[in-house]
Amino acid sequence: MFGSYDIPFNIEHEGISLSVEKEDNLYTYKRKAFYGTEEKTLLFDTGKVLLNPIEPLNRPKEITSFLLVEFDKSIVIGPGTSKIIYIKFPIEIGVFISNNKNFEILDVLTLVNQKFTLYGDPASGVICKYWNSSVYSKIPETNPIMEGVMEVKIENTTTRWVEVSKAVFNAYDMRIYYSHSLVSMKAKMKILGDQMAETVFSNAPLKAGMTKSIELYNARKVSVLGPKFLMGEGL
Amino acid sequence: MNLTEMTPFIQAYESPIFRFVIVVVTIILAFFVSKLATFYFRRSFREKMSKDHLEIVLKVISYSIIIIAILFFVLPTLNVQESSILVAGSVFGLVIGFASQSIVGNLISGLFLMIERPIKVGNLVNIDGNSGTVEDISIISTIIRTYDGLYVRIPNEKVFTTTITNYVANVARRFEYVVGIRYEDDADQAIDIIENLISENPFALKNPTPSVFVDTLGDNAVNIIVRIWAPVTDWYSVKTEMLWIIKKTLEENGIEIAFPQRTVWFANELSKKEIQ
Repeated sequence: MFGSYDIPFNIEHEGISLSVEKEDNLYTYKRKAFYGTEEKTLLFDTGKVLLNPIEPLNRPKEITSFLLVEFDKSIVIGPGTSKIIYIKFPIEIGVFISNNKNFEILDVLTLVNQKFTLYGDPASGVICKYWNSSVYSKIPETNPIMEGVMEVKIENTTTRWVEVSKAVFNAYDMRIYYSHSLVSMKAKMKILGDQMAETVFSNAPLKAGMTKSIELYNARKVSVLGPKFLMGEGL
Repeated sequence: MNLTEMTPFIQAYESPIFRFVIVVVTIILAFFVSKLATFYFRRSFREKMSKDHLEIVLKVISYSIIIIAILFFVLPTLNVQESSILVAGSVFGLVIGFASQSIVGNLISGLFLMIERPIKVGNLVNIDGNSGTVEDISIISTIIRTYDGLYVRIPNEKVFTTTITNYVANVARRFEYVVGIRYEDDADQAIDIIENLISENPFALKNPTPSVFVDTLGDNAVNIIVRIWAPVTDWYSVKTEMLWIIKKTLEENGIEIAFPQRTVWFANELSKKEIQ
């Protein structure tokens, strides 16, 4: 489903219908999905439609730039140990209109359930998009229009055993890559203490030949906090 | 150009009228540059910074330009010496102290409000009984736009000394319902239904965990307390949406919201008279 489409185009996939059609010398973008419809009039001479997996923080409404992935089973990691795990993350589908160099977001779709949570306490914590994932030792099977796979390198820099039940990531640094069958990200989680860790993304695909997605967050805004996220409210 | 040729300019520059004109032009220019700079920065950073931070940065830029213009252009033009500024400042302070206590009080309160920051531009607050959105925090006063669109100007001294309720200071906020169901209804089933509805709402936070429990066995109903945390940005919409959804879904499952009623038992059976 992801990729570049010449206009006019029409696509139907998993209950979602997208189209850009010419009507009376005007192009009309239409989306029909189980959660609602959208129509926009497009004024341009030449262009293409890009469908890309994007940061999962725009639906139903953008209220945070943080994603919290809770592990269904806690991980206990030994002192000085560094291991790679795989977790799933939700994706949203960005519909972009482009003419060679410039692009603009037209719509954001998602097929996964949406939930928010609080990381930390109400005074000093942050609202995060919530996602629950199992922990895998190898790349799990996913439906690429709903979920992606994140490779997380967990490094325990402390001299104690540490239990980790969740990871919080900042959307400003998400580097999403996609192929026909896989959407992926790579991240590092450096454990700095019993209740503290730092997460950061790597700009690399999980497999060779994957295409890099448009970074919606970096294109739109500048993060005041920077791309890394310091988990200081518990692991 | 030699000294003789420059003499008319020097004389003109020493003329009080000419200096007054320079001072006025400098001040107008400083205000113009300050407006231009704030316009440019507002346009460039409007989508990249929060409104609150942007307003503070713009104020700092604006005041800095005016202060620099006064210190480096206006005062030298008026031949004001540093020592005389100190003397003038002392005298000015005394005059201000006696004559303008309320203005200075507001000004100092404004500075403390900017340092302590109990409220920020865009916050939903209640100050001295005025509920609304903070539109601006200036040196002297704070502007609030009430929920019904009124403009309320509150002196900073009042803001600083009164109780401030900031509804959005924390990122999450809790609300509560009391759902009274009939005694013959299954309270466990009602709790399950309500918990499912909460889990389906994206903005009803996963953590802190919502709580749903039987609180009291009331006169007319079994009272179930529902406590839900939501992001402050969407607290009100979640609160208004969820109650009606809970009521409708309970009724769809045969659970009725109880209303006050009384069963009367008579010690002796009443004699019945048939109505023709």
